Amino acid sequence: MAAKNDGYIDILLERYWSCETTLSEEQELRDFFSQSNLPAAWQPYAPLFAYTREEQSVSLSEGFDERLKKAMEKEKAGNKEYITIRIFAPLLRVAASLLLIVGLGISIFFITRQNNNPWFVETYDDPNAAIKDATYALEKLSHALQTTEEASLETIRVIDDLDIDWSALDSLMAEDEELTADSLAATAQEKKDTLHIGTFISNNKKEKEI
Amino acid sequence: MKDRLFRLAYGIVRDQEEAEDILQDLLLKLWSRKEEWSDIGNLEAYCFRAIKNMALDRLATMTVRKTDSIEREKEDLYFVDHQSPHSEMVVKEQRILIERCLRELPENQQLTFRLREVEGMSYREISETLAISEDLVKISLFRARKKMKELLAGYGS
Repeated sequence: MAAKNDGYIDILLERYWSCETTLSEEQELRDFFSQSNLPAAWQPYAPLFAYTREEQSVSLSEGFDERLKKAMEKEKAGNKEYITIRIFAPLLRVAASLLLIVGLGISIFFITRQNNNPWFVETYDDPNAAIKDATYALEKLSHALQTTEEASLETIRVIDDLDIDWSALDSLMAEDEELTADSLAATAQEKKDTLHIGTFISNNKKEKEI
Repeated sequence: MKDRLFRLAYGIVRDQEEAEDILQDLLLKLWSRKEEWSDIGNLEAYCFRAIKNMALDRLATMTVRKTDSIEREKEDLYFVDHQSPHSEMVVKEQRILIERCLRELPENQQLTFRLREVEGMSYREISETLAISEDLVKISLFRARKKMKELLAGYGS
């Protein structure tokens, strides 16, 4: 068979390389090159056709349809779950911006109001009641002041009653100060004396000798 | 149809799980837009285009995520070297060589080659799928096949 087809295959192959073959002719070539005892001249091209044949046999794994079905169901369920959200998605955007604007408005309103408000606000409608309450508050205050004043006066009186000799105390303090000053001066003098005493003695001796 | 889409994704990412993941994503997306199907002129070409783009995107993130693809390839070679008979080793090595050569081709050539050889698509179908002209499809395929021929002829001698 090979001998008879040799020229034909050669022509087919040539046309194959120059892309002139039809699909059926290409299939013929693939079939021809799939035979096991191929003449040596064509051996080099066998791997190419073997490769395409092999690639043709690649197929989906068995569990694919099952997995696809599951994924489709999941997708469906997912769509149902979020359908309300999806419908309201544009509205949600509007709502979010509205909320933002309202929130900003409220906060700005409160901030400005806080700054403009006087610290004291008129809360009384009846002036008499206001005066009454004010007097009451002032009386409370003056009462408190009075009690503290009395308390301090009482303390002073108690101290007076103790009958302390203030002048004696003052002189004691003054004495104390003088004493410290004196002692300081005395120690300084002592040091000086000890320094001079040696020379003083030697001077005395010299005077006596003379 | 599903298998063809899967094969295209697999051809790009070279990973069974990732390719299935991509296909699932695509089908779920398609399912959620059932009402738009009538607006799409050629649903099949649309699907191929979509899965191509998704797979390329995934491939870009994959290369960032894991860089062990080359290591794995080496491992394969190593494994073959020591455990398989010589002929099997040669076949596997050639396969890896072809794969690597394909991967080094420009994207259009690579995809054209794949769609033509593996999926058996006509030039028109490929041009619709890749959103390129039929002439460009032919040129891309010619270049890809030429590269393959050079590779194989060089390897054989």
